[in-house]
Amino acid sequence: MKKIILLLFVLALSFSSCEKDDICDANTPTTPRLVIGFYDFLNPSVAKSVTNLKVVGEGMPSGVLFNGSETTSANTISIPLKTNENTTTYSFTLNFGNSNPALVDEDIIKFDYSKQELFVSRACGYKSIFTFDPTAPYTHTDPVAASQKWIKFISVEKNIIENENETHIKIFF
Amino acid sequence: MKHTLRSFFSFFLVLSMTLAQAQETTPKPKQEKSTTVSTEADQKISETSMPLVKIEPTAKTNDSIPAKTDRYGIRVGVDLYKLTRALYDKNYKGIELVGDYRLTKKYFLAAELGNENKTTDDDRVNFTTKGSYIKAGYDYNAYQNWLDMENIISIGLRYGFSTFNQELNSYRIYNSNPYFGETPVIASGKKFDGLSASWIEVVAGVKAKVFDNVFMGFSLRLNRLVTNKQPENFSNLYIPGFNRTYDGDFGVGFNYTVTYFVPIYKKKVKPTVTVENKK
Repeated sequence: MKKIILLLFVLALSFSSCEKDDICDANTPTTPRLVIGFYDFLNPSVAKSVTNLKVVGEGMPSGVLFNGSETTSANTISIPLKTNENTTTYSFTLNFGNSNPALVDEDIIKFDYSKQELFVSRACGYKSIFTFDPTAPYTHTDPVAASQKWIKFISVEKNIIENENETHIKIFF
Repeated sequence: MKHTLRSFFSFFLVLSMTLAQAQETTPKPKQEKSTTVSTEADQKISETSMPLVKIEPTAKTNDSIPAKTDRYGIRVGVDLYKLTRALYDKNYKGIELVGDYRLTKKYFLAAELGNENKTTDDDRVNFTTKGSYIKAGYDYNAYQNWLDMENIISIGLRYGFSTFNQELNSYRIYNSNPYFGETPVIASGKKFDGLSASWIEVVAGVKAKVFDNVFMGFSLRLNRLVTNKQPENFSNLYIPGFNRTYDGDFGVGFNYTVTYFVPIYKKKVKPTVTVENKK
């Protein structure tokens, strides 16, 4: 009898350890963003930082935030793709807010992909992973004139966007 | 909230066991002693040859140990919690039949049989689980009853098995970067058939005779999954009989039963008091 009580007590204690599964943990890999790396067109193996790049989704009033700011001067950015559509269009404006209007340059890239929904957990629900359209993964245009594109070349590095640990797209300028 | 609830369960489980300990009655050797004293007195009195006194001590030796019988039989009933939950929870329908058979003085064969239909509405997923389950095992009665009382404070083990299906009604996609706004709820209707799970339960329970052969009971259960056949691209977030699943393999459950005892035969209880006295 005493042994059984002891056994139950140990069992009860083992249950008291907490399990977090009501809140989706920030470290859980959920829907990945598109990771874009910027490289030097003349020296393709060297990463090159952009200057005051603003990225705005089509029809959105404000730009994607990078560390709380709408412009970035980094050499890699992560932007979300729409999970309820098979296409997402972004405008990439270089030298945004520069006093010299000749330097401000806007390019538009439309990404086409298919998506797949995978179950994560009770708290997180499902996540989307994306696969680029095999024939036309992107469409690159310039709203002013085709000759004025600041992006010289776009390379699709990864066809499937499963996580944010790798660069999916390389932009050379 | 869930964690606090679970720690409460654990706490009450421990409490219920100390209750069993406190209620344990020690056998009554004192009565026996008083009779031996009286027989000594008897012998002394007989020396003085007074025949009138003899009547009283013989009467005492007769009622020293009352004749006691244990009733053996089958107890059947239902879980009131599952039955009444359908009245106030429109997302739940379920029934559980419980039964036990007294094998020996302390051991009972016990089983539960149930069917559940539950719609779980979580933040990100909404799904319906339908299925049946069976649990079989034993209970050990740790309570020493007085006279002809038949109350039970038991601990036991069960092995549970459940077959069920899940239907994903709707879900949401988790996006930690809601630049394009929070994703809407997506209707699904996808069915996952032929699922099954099995588990081990540790049961702590109380049953009290309320009148005649009717018992009211309450039991707490700690479950641990043994096998779990998961659906593809979904998970068994609820298993009939096992209840909600957590990240680990553990789960909790309880029932609140009313049962009817059907006596089959009686067995005389051997007086254990004399054996202990000889030591």
